[in-house]
Amino acid sequence: MDRTPRLRSNGPLWSWIRDRVRLVGSAALGGGVLAVLGVVVLLLVTPSGLAVVSTQAFSLGALCFGFGLLGWSGSVLAGSSVENAQRYLDTGTNWSEDDSRRAMARIGGFGFGGMVGVIAVSSILWV
Amino acid sequence: MSTHTHANGRKRGIRGLLARIRDSQFLSELASNRLAIVGLLIIATIAGLAIYARVFIGGLPPLTDGQYEAITLSNLSGNSDMAEAPPSLRYPFGLDGQARSIFPRVMYGAWLALKWGTVTVGASTVLGVGLGILAAYYGDIVDNVIMRTMDVLLAFPSLLLALALVAIFGTGLQNAVIALVLVYTPRFARVVRGAALKVMEDEYIDATVALGATDFRVLVRHVIPNCLAPVTVQSTLNFGLAIIDLAALSFLGFGAEAGTPSWGWMLSNGVEYGLHSAWWWAFFPGLFLALTVLGFNLLGDGMRDALDPRMRDAID
Amino acid sequence: MASKWFVVKRLLLLVPVLLGVATLVFAVLHISPGDPARVMAGQRASQEQVEMVRQEIGLSDPIWVQYGRFLADTAQLKLGESYVLRPNQSVASILKNSIPTTIELAVYGQLIGILLGLPLGVISAIKQDSITDHITRIGALTGISVPIFWSGPIVIILFSVTLGIFPTNGRIAQQYFLSDTWLFFGHELPRTGLITLDTLLLARYDAFVSAVRHLVLPASVIGFYSMALISRMMRSSMLEVVRQDYIRTARAKGQGERITFLKHGLKNAFIPVITVIGIQFGTLLGGAVLTETVFGIEGIGMILVDAIDVGDYPVVQGTVLVFALLFTLVNLGVDITYSYLDPRIQQ
Repeated sequence: MDRTPRLRSNGPLWSWIRDRVRLVGSAALGGGVLAVLGVVVLLLVTPSGLAVVSTQAFSLGALCFGFGLLGWSGSVLAGSSVENAQRYLDTGTNWSEDDSRRAMARIGGFGFGGMVGVIAVSSILWV
Repeated sequence: MSTHTHANGRKRGIRGLLARIRDSQFLSELASNRLAIVGLLIIATIAGLAIYARVFIGGLPPLTDGQYEAITLSNLSGNSDMAEAPPSLRYPFGLDGQARSIFPRVMYGAWLALKWGTVTVGASTVLGVGLGILAAYYGDIVDNVIMRTMDVLLAFPSLLLALALVAIFGTGLQNAVIALVLVYTPRFARVVRGAALKVMEDEYIDATVALGATDFRVLVRHVIPNCLAPVTVQSTLNFGLAIIDLAALSFLGFGAEAGTPSWGWMLSNGVEYGLHSAWWWAFFPGLFLALTVLGFNLLGDGMRDALDPRMRDAID
Repeated sequence: MASKWFVVKRLLLLVPVLLGVATLVFAVLHISPGDPARVMAGQRASQEQVEMVRQEIGLSDPIWVQYGRFLADTAQLKLGESYVLRPNQSVASILKNSIPTTIELAVYGQLIGILLGLPLGVISAIKQDSITDHITRIGALTGISVPIFWSGPIVIILFSVTLGIFPTNGRIAQQYFLSDTWLFFGHELPRTGLITLDTLLLARYDAFVSAVRHLVLPASVIGFYSMALISRMMRSSMLEVVRQDYIRTARAKGQGERITFLKHGLKNAFIPVITVIGIQFGTLLGGAVLTETVFGIEGIGMILVDAIDVGDYPVVQGTVLVFALLFTLVNLGVDITYSYLDPRIQQ
């Protein structure tokens, strides 16, 4: 009934945290690397200045982040409703709240990583 | 039923397709559904009117919507009292306030509705089939990212999402259609993915792969043909919705240009200016809109009931 | 049963939902090729106005600073100002007046839909394949096929223009409506903004009657549409329940058909329907956009349409946030109701 993680070293909490950090972190790392590369490449290839490039890249990251966040919370929020509606109304698409949350966490993490990456690379190049 | 699909799955080319149609349980079951037949008749009538209007009123060389306007002008344009005459023998649906006869305009509206409905549903079907099959065939991360994105889009109410997209892209018929394609694509992707997954569970696909068929070949020869039935049903069910949503966007002023004989715009004109004085402005375009949508809903409902239960699950 | 922890957890979800929507709105504004200041100020704004907006939202700062500031402002409900639709009025104040309007319309519409749709669905299922069933099913299909922006004008023409029974538009008769701030006979209306409730609380029954008369047509139009959906769902869900074993067992034990239905069928059949009612609430809001336009009711739907029409970005942005908030809250309510109804769900 109570799914709150308990604090015990090496207990369920740590593996609980580790799983999630790994899931979001790997996606964020990918997003961050891609963002840094993207900003540098765009600066070299296009005539646009840093402000324009970082705005575009940051917004793109924010788009993924916002979408992932919305999708993640939507899955949690409507998860049981959708799963049950499917159970009763024959719309079996084997949708599961768990899968959906995981996918959304990846997308959101990727976007967040991208945003952080843009901030990092732009602040270094800003001067 | 399931062995049935297997047997036909191996047949190739046009002959195979014809054989499928001949002994299709789907079609015979559909033909025995009276409501579906009524729906089909309604659609056929509307389509007939649309083509008639396009060819004989619009003229065969393509007309722009603006040129069309001149043709429906009655010769009463000089007489301002008569410019909004009520329905009569001469002008069955009355005149629209600018001395244009509403009857041919409504018929031409059928052409526009079916045309843009086909564009919307067609584009979403193609996109949805592509995405759904990619998701089903490659599975894992591809599947997760594609389908979950589709799920989030599905969770948004269609008209509100379309409105938000129109707010971003700007208004106009083309943008309205683009917005609706984005709104409708997920529905097809979901159905196709479900159907494709079920096809791929069949052993003969494994056998074909073992015999050295390429991915592409398996998809084109086996997976796509078997998804056709559920996709057709989904297209029919969504055709009516697409026509309503397009008309709604035009009604709100974000779709068809002012003055075009689209049902949505005629309705908006009728509500804005004719509500108190000229009921026929809003009544006839809306009546045809509702009839068309009803036709598609009746047919789509019947088709869903006639569908192989294995495939029916994927459609809601 | 819904524990307190469950409710709190669901309420906390509002944070990521709104953060997500706000982030999307921000991203879209800055990703689109146009000048954000120009987009905010509206296409018809003068160059000076655009410059003013640019200063106000600090467009020369790095993008992440702007993002942080935007989030901080949004969190304090500083949604900016309307530049085009109602110049110099804050978006928050525009929305404050229109949110209750939409809620009231949606609630009454949904109520009508539920009160008519559930019994119709049940009757249709009990008398499966009878004439009643066929009529109900065809009626439901017709109801889904008739767009609100046609049935709306038709009932106006019929009941207002021709018969003169109900007023054509607005929320209440002119003599009760003094200004935008809802000054009611010198009392400011501080209460709920739900006009049927407020007039009752002020004990102004004449005003109440006027408000109800204004609500009848638009709420019925929405209700008719949602009735069609609900009766269809109730029918299929009821049929499914009836086919299950325990109903057969109950029947074999010799209980009367009617009692069996009522006792076992109804509650179980209602469970899936209520989840779908929640999911369908979005469609209802979409319907509200159209209904408000047809009946000239100043709810958030009409505000959204007007704002898109004139290109008032801050208002569009605020409205989108409000829609997301409403949608989330309704689904939260549905979730809680659901967990009370279905003991199998252990949250």
